[in-house]
Amino acid sequence: MKIGIISFAHMHAYSYAHGVLQLEGVELAGIADENEERGKKYAAQFNTSYYANYADLLNQDIDAVIVTSENAKHKEHVIAAAKAGKHVLCEKPISTNIRDAQEMIDACREHGVILQTAFPVRFNSAIIRAKQMIDEGKLGRILAIKGTNRGQNPGGWFIEPSLSGGGAVIDHTVHVVDVMRWFMGAEVKEVYAEIDSRLSDTPIDDCGILTMEFDNGVFATLDCSWNRNKQFPTWGDVTLDIVGSLGTLTIDAFNQKLNVYTDNNGYKHHFWGDDMDAGLIRDFVNSVRAGKKEASITGEDGLRAVEVALAAYEAAKKKEPVALR
Amino acid sequence: MFHVLVIGAGTMGSTHAHAYAAMENVNLVGIVDIRAEKGSELAASVGTRSFTSYEEAMEALERVDVVDVCVPTFLHKEYVMKAADAGKHVICEKPLARNLRDAQEMIDYCKQKNVKLFVGHVLRFFPEYVNAKQMLDQEAIGPVAVVRTTRGGAFPMAWNNWYADFQCSGGLTLDMIIHDFDYLRWCFGEVERVYAKGLQGRVAAQLDYALVTLRFKSGVIAHVEGTWAHDTFSMKFEMAGKTGIIDYDSSRDKPMVAFSRTAQAGSGGVAVPESPLKENPYYLELKHFLSCIERDSDPIVTAEDAYEAMRIALAAIESMQTGKPVVLQ
Repeated sequence: MKIGIISFAHMHAYSYAHGVLQLEGVELAGIADENEERGKKYAAQFNTSYYANYADLLNQDIDAVIVTSENAKHKEHVIAAAKAGKHVLCEKPISTNIRDAQEMIDACREHGVILQTAFPVRFNSAIIRAKQMIDEGKLGRILAIKGTNRGQNPGGWFIEPSLSGGGAVIDHTVHVVDVMRWFMGAEVKEVYAEIDSRLSDTPIDDCGILTMEFDNGVFATLDCSWNRNKQFPTWGDVTLDIVGSLGTLTIDAFNQKLNVYTDNNGYKHHFWGDDMDAGLIRDFVNSVRAGKKEASITGEDGLRAVEVALAAYEAAKKKEPVALR
Repeated sequence: MFHVLVIGAGTMGSTHAHAYAAMENVNLVGIVDIRAEKGSELAASVGTRSFTSYEEAMEALERVDVVDVCVPTFLHKEYVMKAADAGKHVICEKPLARNLRDAQEMIDYCKQKNVKLFVGHVLRFFPEYVNAKQMLDQEAIGPVAVVRTTRGGAFPMAWNNWYADFQCSGGLTLDMIIHDFDYLRWCFGEVERVYAKGLQGRVAAQLDYALVTLRFKSGVIAHVEGTWAHDTFSMKFEMAGKTGIIDYDSSRDKPMVAFSRTAQAGSGGVAVPESPLKENPYYLELKHFLSCIERDSDPIVTAEDAYEAMRIALAAIESMQTGKPVVLQ
């Protein structure tokens, strides 16, 4: 099986490429990147071909592509891949607006290819174990969830809204909303949010606290802020505190770590848990190999999560909760 | 020498009584509790007398300077007014009252009767919280953007299960995370907008959980979690500023944990954490209030502050009920 990567604009491309290389019988067949320097650098590093034009990569005898371009370019790349008959794993957020996501979903369906949204957190081992406990009924009925997905301001195109669609809220809402939807099999019904730009030198939303109502009666909050400072010991977090009728479950997904104290670097965390990105790639490859009609995490899953982020922006602007459905 | 009468022999009454008992300038003259056994038990442990009514105590006691009201919230007003009538200074547990009208009446009445009214927002005397505020004031982490706090543990068990009666206690939002509302207001100024969700009214079980978002006039965004749905008590905060982060977690940052293997043979023992200090926060708080009486000075936390904290808590409850943000005028 041959997989190509369209763009290394998103840094996740790097670990996804590693994930591809780890798999038996899967070849990283090429990297397309409009940024020649970047594309050539990673093509050399991963010992594969470089394509200046993604259309040339799509013309190759490949089975699937990973789209890790800037958010606003996902649509162009995903639809081109669908038309070329290539299965797609698309980085999150799937799009910067609802219409684009729907067009991507429709195009992939029309051309009979899988569209998977890259939500690697579903492959974190603590998250998987939590899902299992929830499904076994250990928590009883879920009543409320408190989530965080904090990080650092990535800079670059992430803080150019024309390319990213927004800052922390669109970047960091989607992971945990997806996990909440997955845990409960429920949809977000209403969103409220306090959002601001309070930390960055460039005006981009970097602080956000969302409050959500789900259609199963559960309420949840999510802190999606890019508010980890430069010397913070790690990049950020994914946490979920779940209150159920029979008990509580506290998840700190990346708290499988060493505490490292060095004179050069101060105090840092060193993560030793399972590689969730590799898990995501393996899952995508398995779905393609098995000839599945749908990915395990669909384009619709990507769209549902983006809807919440976009509603959060609207709610913050209106200072009112926004109904989704 | 202050002659102090404590009303209520529950958790807070007991905590206050023990603090007074350790003060050299205090004569703890009595404990009042309608539960004779509970009152005499506490009185014996702190070496004072017990009474089954406020009137009985006031009649029997030669001198009372301060009445410390540690009864359930909905009974605060009755005792605060009585003490003010008798011209006694009043220390009242938080929240000041169950509703704003009562709170305002209590404040006005104490002013009218020329007695001081203090409210036990003790977080302002917890060194971890005080030190964090000092660091903020010194701009140790630059301008603050997002703050998160957590407070709670198991559902509180008390007289008549009064915490479970929302009309009496206001649930955990009014009773417990009002601590955090007061502290955050102390640090970040006035609140502009409140949005909140809670389990109150959603579940029949004896369980409460609330997630409150506060937007301050200064722009700071705060997320306040209150829980009576977890196992053991903990309190946490994190302040994220432009150049740094301060965080504290009582369940993680503890100087000692004792575990007794022999306490109950055959059953799992319980680990008991402690954070010992020469003077505990309750002692510091009560000592401060007494010194304000002595010096006729303003306290670190005023009755008006207590009223404002109630406004935030009640706005959160209103938001939970209406599903809308509540703007504080």
